[in-house]
Amino acid sequence: MIRTSTPLRGILAACLLGGWSATTRAQDPAADFRQNCMSCHTIGGGRLTGPDLKNVDQRKDRDWLTRFIMDPRAVIDSGDPYAQELLKDARNAVMPTLPGMTRARATALLDLIGAESKLEKSQFAGVQISDRPFTPEDIERGRLMFLGRVPLARGGPSCIACHTTNGVGALGGGTLAPDLTTVFERYEGRKTLSTWLTAPATPTMQAVFRQAPLESDEILALVAYFQSTLQRSPDDVATSRLNFVLLGLGGTIVVLGLFDVIWRGRLKSVRRMLVHRNGSENTHG
Amino acid sequence: MNVRSQISMVFHLDKCIGCHTCSIACKNIWTDRKGAEYMWWNNVETKPGTGYPTRWEDQDQYHGGWEVHKGKLRLRSTGKGKIVTNIFHNPFMPTMDDYYEPWTYKYEDLFNAPEGTDQPTARPVSMVTGEHMDVEAGPNWDDDLGGSPVYAANDKNLDGLSEEQRQQLFAVERLVFFYFPRICNHCLNPSCVAACPSGALYKRGEDGIVLLDQKRCRAWRSCVAACPYKKTFFNWSTGKSEKCILCYPRLETGQAPACFHSCVGRIRYLGVVLYDADRLEEVAKLPDDKLIEGQRSLILDPNDPEVIEAARANGVHDSVIESAQRSPVYKFVKVWKIALPPHIEYRTLPMLFYVPPMSPVMANRQDGTVESVSDNFFHDIEQARVPMKFLANLFGAGGEGKVVYALKKQKAVRTYRRALTVGDISMETAEKMLAEADCTKEEADAIYHLTSLCTFDDRFVIPPMHREEAIEMMREPSEHKTAVGFGFIEPPKRGF
Repeated sequence: MIRTSTPLRGILAACLLGGWSATTRAQDPAADFRQNCMSCHTIGGGRLTGPDLKNVDQRKDRDWLTRFIMDPRAVIDSGDPYAQELLKDARNAVMPTLPGMTRARATALLDLIGAESKLEKSQFAGVQISDRPFTPEDIERGRLMFLGRVPLARGGPSCIACHTTNGVGALGGGTLAPDLTTVFERYEGRKTLSTWLTAPATPTMQAVFRQAPLESDEILALVAYFQSTLQRSPDDVATSRLNFVLLGLGGTIVVLGLFDVIWRGRLKSVRRMLVHRNGSENTHG
Repeated sequence: MNVRSQISMVFHLDKCIGCHTCSIACKNIWTDRKGAEYMWWNNVETKPGTGYPTRWEDQDQYHGGWEVHKGKLRLRSTGKGKIVTNIFHNPFMPTMDDYYEPWTYKYEDLFNAPEGTDQPTARPVSMVTGEHMDVEAGPNWDDDLGGSPVYAANDKNLDGLSEEQRQQLFAVERLVFFYFPRICNHCLNPSCVAACPSGALYKRGEDGIVLLDQKRCRAWRSCVAACPYKKTFFNWSTGKSEKCILCYPRLETGQAPACFHSCVGRIRYLGVVLYDADRLEEVAKLPDDKLIEGQRSLILDPNDPEVIEAARANGVHDSVIESAQRSPVYKFVKVWKIALPPHIEYRTLPMLFYVPPMSPVMANRQDGTVESVSDNFFHDIEQARVPMKFLANLFGAGGEGKVVYALKKQKAVRTYRRALTVGDISMETAEKMLAEADCTKEEADAIYHLTSLCTFDDRFVIPPMHREEAIEMMREPSEHKTAVGFGFIEPPKRGF
């Protein structure tokens, strides 16, 4: 049993309450937006996973917006037609309910979005990606970044750690995540793929790239590369897997053989050698 | 001074008849189990011979024991670097063939064979594979084969003998052998304990018995490689190493270990000695020729008031101190100096001592008649069939002095007793020999009594083990009493 003296308990209670109040205290809405919204939304930078929020309060009223922020799933499930439309635009990605969201916090966020919408260029406009045509240099640079030969500027992991695509060598790339050979096609072209890469929205990618986002020229190069992989004939995945297994087997045999040579005396018994030596002496002498 | 107590032993080789009763007694109690078939915690070797496992004394082969490296003691078999490179295979281990493949006979064939013109035979079958096997070697294959060209000729202790001496050793009229029974030496500086990466081996504080915790053993087998006497064994069935436990459950109930108890020749002595643990490292680092003297200096006089006081301060019970004062081991090793440690050059400071054996003298032939008496008796020791160098390699770390001293004293006691009882040697000669052998009449009588007329209680002075005091440190003794009993409460098994 743990017994604490009364003053100690008082201090503990104060600490707990202090901690509680710190978490519920309204935080700076700009920081809140940066931390929780920016991975899917821009203000005046075009749509990412979610729609561009510039002048969102002109599209829907305050009350509806607040309700949606506080519990997006509930609004969608209620069959609200505008919410259904949003869901379709977002390719069925449901906006997550943010933990600890309150009416006050939602209001603060909406105020921030209203204020930022009036600015010519919002701080939340997101990454701007050039529309210029791809050059062979872009493709090559994208390939090198995919393979990890050119590191990503913010220190993110290179694609090949988890993904593969065609033309990355006989052994293929990573197998943890999907093959990216046809990703350009699957994401319906340059615009959506670029947008998606500015703030990857899958749980794994989001966790990894929130801390180290891709820069706009990197996205351009990677998208150029993914477009180029689409044009090449796809690799035979089975062959690269077979190569991998064969290399493993071959390597094991080589290493075992090496062990066998280094420790070749390991099965020699002392006694047998004595008997053998004596036998051969007798036959020769 | 850090006084501790240690159960110590003396084997009187002059009395050993090589009957292997000790080995069988041990086998029946401890190693008649699956995975332990090949183990002989107690074995008897014929010397000269290669022993069990084959040539265990050849540390260039097995890398057992300690060496002094840059003024520090270092294990020969393992170390921080070596343990990594040898993690999957330790190259200094005896193979199954070096011990022997244990076998039994298919006795049921004698009864179940179909009728025929031949006698049915019981073929040997391996106790490891269960298949028929051709028996090529055993734990004492060279038993009584003094001149065998494979085994006797390859005894490591013959190193340093001239080619002529070696040849003579195998001439029929000079053939000689003696027996060398071996158990774990329960060393003061055990290399098996030092080598264990799991900390499974430990030296029991209260009595110095070296034990192996079956729960903590992780099958590294470092102890097998590190023990220069090859007295830890790996059980292939349980995946744990095992070793002689000096029958501690018997000692705790006041009985001598099984091999001691059953010894037909009554060659075994057991008693407690007090030693100074502070000087262990210093002594273990001494040069080879100083080691025996150094180890003797570790063993303290149990009658010295200063030693008694220090022992009490260290928690050694009065009854143990009293037992140490009556210890036969103390007399053999420290007072009479006729018991010597085996291969102390391995620097583990073994606490099992051997009285070196007398061997038949070469008869003098004079005018066609065989003379067995000469004027210079001690001359006969140098003329003994076993070359002094051989015994010195075994018991003297290469130096002959201590071995000759022990043999001279034994010879003088024999002569003195002969002068006393038979009377064909003059007492004057006997007294002269005693004086030359650094022995008094009283000492000679004492040696004679403890050698020839010793009773159970003379040979085995077992101290009260005071387990209750040791148990008290870990759990309530009354609770412990209800939680122990026969058999394994938790049998050892593979894995963690």
